[in-house]
Amino acid sequence: MFRLQSSKVLAVDMTGDAVKAKNGSMVAYDGEMAFKKLSGGGEGLRGMVTRRLTGEQMTLMEVKGHGTCFFADRASEINLVGLRGETLYVESSNLLVTDGGLRTGTTFTGMRGASQGNGLFTTTIEGHGQAAIMSDGPALLLRVSAQYPLTVDPGAYVAHQGNLRQSFQSGVTFRTLMGEGGGEAFQIRFEGDGVVYVQPSERNTIAGDV
Amino acid sequence: MSTYGTPGAGPVAHDPMTLPADDNVDHYTFCVELKGTQWFMQKGKMIAYYGSIEFNGIGHGRLDRLVRTSFHSPLHASDWVVAEGSGKMLLADRAFDVNSYDLEDGNLTIRSGNLLAFQPSLSLKQSIVPGFLTLIGTGKFVAASNGPVVFMEPPIRVDPQALVGWADCPSPCHHYDHGYMTGVMGGLRAMTGLGGASGEEHQFEFVGAGTVLLQSSEALMAEQATGTPPQEPGVPGGGIPGGQGQGAGAPRLPGQLGDLQRRFGL
Repeated sequence: MFRLQSSKVLAVDMTGDAVKAKNGSMVAYDGEMAFKKLSGGGEGLRGMVTRRLTGEQMTLMEVKGHGTCFFADRASEINLVGLRGETLYVESSNLLVTDGGLRTGTTFTGMRGASQGNGLFTTTIEGHGQAAIMSDGPALLLRVSAQYPLTVDPGAYVAHQGNLRQSFQSGVTFRTLMGEGGGEAFQIRFEGDGVVYVQPSERNTIAGDV
Repeated sequence: MSTYGTPGAGPVAHDPMTLPADDNVDHYTFCVELKGTQWFMQKGKMIAYYGSIEFNGIGHGRLDRLVRTSFHSPLHASDWVVAEGSGKMLLADRAFDVNSYDLEDGNLTIRSGNLLAFQPSLSLKQSIVPGFLTLIGTGKFVAASNGPVVFMEPPIRVDPQALVGWADCPSPCHHYDHGYMTGVMGGLRAMTGLGGASGEEHQFEFVGAGTVLLQSSEALMAEQATGTPPQEPGVPGGGIPGGQGQGAGAPRLPGQLGDLQRRFGL
């Protein structure tokens, strides 16, 4: 059972079940816990090879036991996401903890990943259970529906969920080259039905100065 | 309507109907509503938007008229862009606290790194105080600060690192605790650092009617270039790039040897 001890500390109550967590993110626990490095994020040999090839590296550990385990990472804000059979797309660097029963994998993101400097691939999480994702500042949940498409700065994108199509928009013009750009040269447009998690801060991206 | 998002747990899902118009979404994000209108904003502070919004550098020819009427900081121009269109736009800056302020036929001077966005009904000018910008007129602007902003009434002395800006009081000046440095022991202490310094010997002082804005932290926001004032006699910092009004050379601490030399007429 996941609960937020504070906005920056996640507490997981466990009764013999397991969770997957970012390596080294445990800050405290009470009860009996075992920590096991999960080679390749527990995705098997194929997953390991995929992650190595795609550069979407993720070092996870499996935490199993009885009691309460507390997780935190660099004082990042933590957001809980409940999954009921849907897929959550998240950057591996933003993933903190998932239920042991959730499947993780990698998927191709295309130009969005490239513009974020995060590589061309992203992590997927699917199944039934909870996941905890991290953001720099509390994440905003923005709903996308047919009449309201959403445009997001790649540096502020954290995760998304639902049946969304993403397209990449570039505002690079000759003015950008002259140093008079609009400052928002790369944008991702989401259309369809779902939600997007956005953080109130921008990672350094190649578009940051354009 | 979509069924995604977790009710109860985690943040609330926003859509254009529930997002506020020209107000804070939370402490760290500000929502601007554009209805065919324009806003000036610092480059790269947009995190997301609904609707169709265009971002153009201030050098964009079509914006010349707007820039002429509400922008008076030409050398600083490339850090600013104009957002125009219709929709709702979210602004945020490195997860700092953001707040909006309304000016009614008023003036406010703010540290350049803290100003995030403003309505074109305000006009932006370089302040005579280096590193600060002044907004004059009526309208709304958005500023970021490291921790929530505190409003104080003068007379007040404030720590230089905590100062965000001031409104309506034209008397920002330096204040040194000279009592601390009087006498032989005090002089020695200031010169050598032996005996310790409290780190609070120097403040900014404000008197008169107005408001002083402080942030609740002494971590400064990165400074934005305000441009160089023209090189003319009588212009503080004129001609010195990024000039802090110090003149040539490194800033001198009070009581340093330089002061003694000056006293002895060397």
